[in-house]
Amino acid sequence: MRWALLGSVAVLALLASVMLGPAAVPWGELAHSDIVWNLRAPRAVLAFLVGGSLGVAGAGLQALVRNPLADPFLLGLSGGAGLGAVVALALHLSGPWALPLAAFAGALAALGLVYRMGLVGGAALDPRILLLGGVAVGAFTAAITTAIVSLADAAELRNAFLWLWGGLSAASWDSVLLLALYAPVPLAVLMAAARPLDLLALGEEPARYLGADVEAVKRRVYLAASLLTAAAVAVSGVIGFVGLVIPHIARLAWGHHHRALLPAAFIGGGALLAIADTLARTVVAPRELPVGVVTALIGVPVFALLLRRWTIA
Amino acid sequence: MALAHFARRRSPISISPGMGIFIMRRWLLAWLLLAACRPSGRPAGGLTVTDAAGRTVSLAAPARRVVSLLPSFTELLFAMGAGDRLVGRTAWCDYPPAAHAVPSVGDGMPPNVEAVAARHPDLVVLYHSGPNVTAAEQLARLGIPAVLLDLNRLEDLGPAARTLGRLTGREVAAESLAAAMDSLAARPPRPAPPPFTSIVFVVWDNPPIVIGRGSYLHQLAALAGARNVFADVTVPSAQVSLETIAARDPDWIAVLQDSAPPGAPAFATRREWRAVRAVRERRFLLLPGSLFGRPGPRSAEAVRELRARIEGVGGASR
Repeated sequence: MRWALLGSVAVLALLASVMLGPAAVPWGELAHSDIVWNLRAPRAVLAFLVGGSLGVAGAGLQALVRNPLADPFLLGLSGGAGLGAVVALALHLSGPWALPLAAFAGALAALGLVYRMGLVGGAALDPRILLLGGVAVGAFTAAITTAIVSLADAAELRNAFLWLWGGLSAASWDSVLLLALYAPVPLAVLMAAARPLDLLALGEEPARYLGADVEAVKRRVYLAASLLTAAAVAVSGVIGFVGLVIPHIARLAWGHHHRALLPAAFIGGGALLAIADTLARTVVAPRELPVGVVTALIGVPVFALLLRRWTIA
Repeated sequence: MALAHFARRRSPISISPGMGIFIMRRWLLAWLLLAACRPSGRPAGGLTVTDAAGRTVSLAAPARRVVSLLPSFTELLFAMGAGDRLVGRTAWCDYPPAAHAVPSVGDGMPPNVEAVAARHPDLVVLYHSGPNVTAAEQLARLGIPAVLLDLNRLEDLGPAARTLGRLTGREVAAESLAAAMDSLAARPPRPAPPPFTSIVFVVWDNPPIVIGRGSYLHQLAALAGARNVFADVTVPSAQVSLETIAARDPDWIAVLQDSAPPGAPAFATRREWRAVRAVRERRFLLLPGSLFGRPGPRSAEAVRELRARIEGVGGASR
């Protein structure tokens, strides 16, 4: 029942985002319109993939650091991606993929730095060290980015922040293909870690007694969730709230078993971002809202409502 | 947070989606300052003007050491023969060539008040914006008169020229300049030549930000006989969907470029942009930022240049 409901919401979200848009496309021409096939359809699919990836990454990281505030961007990835994009602009790297690749590289650099900090002194990815390291690396990269933007005289550098908050306007079948080939690997790694993640919720010691290889699980989950997020940033910038709110909503409805929780977070995250993007494109047409604004405007009230029901029950 | 911060810091040509808030802030500030400045005594003799923020600016004598913090003001001052009064300019002031000889006080966004004060000006001219109101107040506390002027549209040029003329004692030259500016702003839109006449100004590609009716660029296009396909966007610029650009099917994509070697913009090679016919047909108008990036005394020249480009002088993809 829950799955049927979630599935139909997702299908409706995808259909709506292909059928609705600021440009008036007659119903009869939907099937063979250039706007539908080359702009709306890839954008809808990309929104779904990115939203789903962020939802799963958020669920994985929340279980890993055992902190309900964990979000895919908490561990310094958005700062790293922003720095990468600004450096690419400052070095005048050209080519249509220069910015996404540089942002991806920046996110990977931040990921590597935080990961290395998490291992300092045999800490073995202590959740507290990861969180502090993530916040510190995020602040540090943001400071460097701001310094570059303030000192450089190229006007376009100031627009790097627009790129970072860009949302899904750069969607094309190319970016869909890229993410569709890339995302299944970290998604599979996270799904395979579903059972050990359930055990990890009990604490590291009990999980170890129950037979989980805690160190390996933490390493795999951290790297897979971060690699998923890095790819999402590269194709769509920093989209907030999906990775924070969706895992909690999924947990309220599906409980704490990651075997069900992770797929639910994927479909739920995908549906939320597809709906949010459709609204972002249509409600103020011909203008467009940043999609992160819409995810927060939908996600937070839904979350507050569920939280209220949850705490009262 | 960061976005809003940087949006406000951007040059006046690439106006941000945060402009709505920016303008609201501006009006609020203007209103507060207006309320605060109402009962001000005026010195006998000398020059007194009320600026765009409602502040009363008084000079004992025409200014002899002027710092201009907007390229348009620098151009206007040179055009009225007051270029020799300039002792400071922004890093963006690149016209006329003589402006390069004036020391730069930085990018002016926001103004570096110390660097401005170090030029010992007896008048500072600023674009009327939130951060600049703060800078003007700081300068006033240092005893340096600062005047805030609007310069968003072509009709702002005449009043700005007259104010600058009064403050620098170049009233006669300023009046003829202002009259020319006023007649340009009041000129009826030129009827479009039949083929290839609709245009979109793309300020940024991801997310796509385009110029709306609130910008002087919209006015330049209308005077050149081109129809801005985003004339229904009332603000100077706004974020829009790529599919709206594709559906409105402009004949030309206009892009402002600062860099010396002009070339098709990077987004031209991106697959999603190929849904736009003008991108597929490579109908780009690569407009030099120095001429098109600001309203100023050369706006009539910008209109002629745009008209010539649209009519095909210089090749289809230039």
